[in-house]
Amino acid sequence: MFAPARAATLLFPLAMLFAAPVPAAEDPALLRDLTTVLMLLAKPCGDVVSAKRQADNDHIATCKDGSRYRVFVNAEGRATAQKL
Amino acid sequence: MCCAAIGLLALAAGCATVVDAPPTPAVPSAAPVVIAPTAVEPKQPAAIAPTTVRPKQPVKAVREAAKPAPTLDIAGLTERLRSTSAIGLFTKLALKNQMDDLLQQVRAQHQGRGAGGVNALRQPYDMLVLKVLAVLQDGDPPLARMISGSREAIWGILADPVKFNALA
Repeated sequence: MFAPARAATLLFPLAMLFAAPVPAAEDPALLRDLTTVLMLLAKPCGDVVSAKRQADNDHIATCKDGSRYRVFVNAEGRATAQKL
Repeated sequence: MCCAAIGLLALAAGCATVVDAPPTPAVPSAAPVVIAPTAVEPKQPAAIAPTTVRPKQPVKAVREAAKPAPTLDIAGLTERLRSTSAIGLFTKLALKNQMDDLLQQVRAQHQGRGAGGVNALRQPYDMLVLKVLAVLQDGDPPLARMISGSREAIWGILADPVKFNALA
């Protein structure tokens, strides 16, 4: 028999292996908003598939094509997108 | 003059003139064969055209007449744009930024600082309106219709320096 501590040590990597990736943000309204703003700012993206909140009005958007943008409101109050 | 007018009327009358035309009897027997198709050919389109086109024109005219006179409520439009839930914060802000940029360009034109005159900004204005409509058409169709209906009136204000300055 395995000691409980040893079993946990073995199971933990297995659990990590099969764990599904946790989506950064699944709010469809936010994803749609980020998709639209990237389109308005003429940034090639397609659809935003996930977003991670950095701060208020500051998100990292990941596009369907794999490109990533930091979308935020800059000091002048403009909606801005920076390619990462 | 009178003969000319009658001649024109006769020409306009169509196939009746072909039958009445006196010179044709002098032509040999092959002539009626030539005339017959020419007299028939114009009839076919003439018979088709009224059935397809005419019903559309009155409907169009009725629609035009039923349209209310274009009125513009800028404050109402602005408030509707601000409060609509069809578009998100970033989208609203990006559109506002682009509108502000366009207004700045219009102001520069009215102050004589730009090249090409204010009419050069008509295309960017139309593009911006199309963007707004594209963003709104699914989420808030009534607002999209409001903006679409106000497009000319808004341009009328932008293009007129007196109205523009009064607004600003």
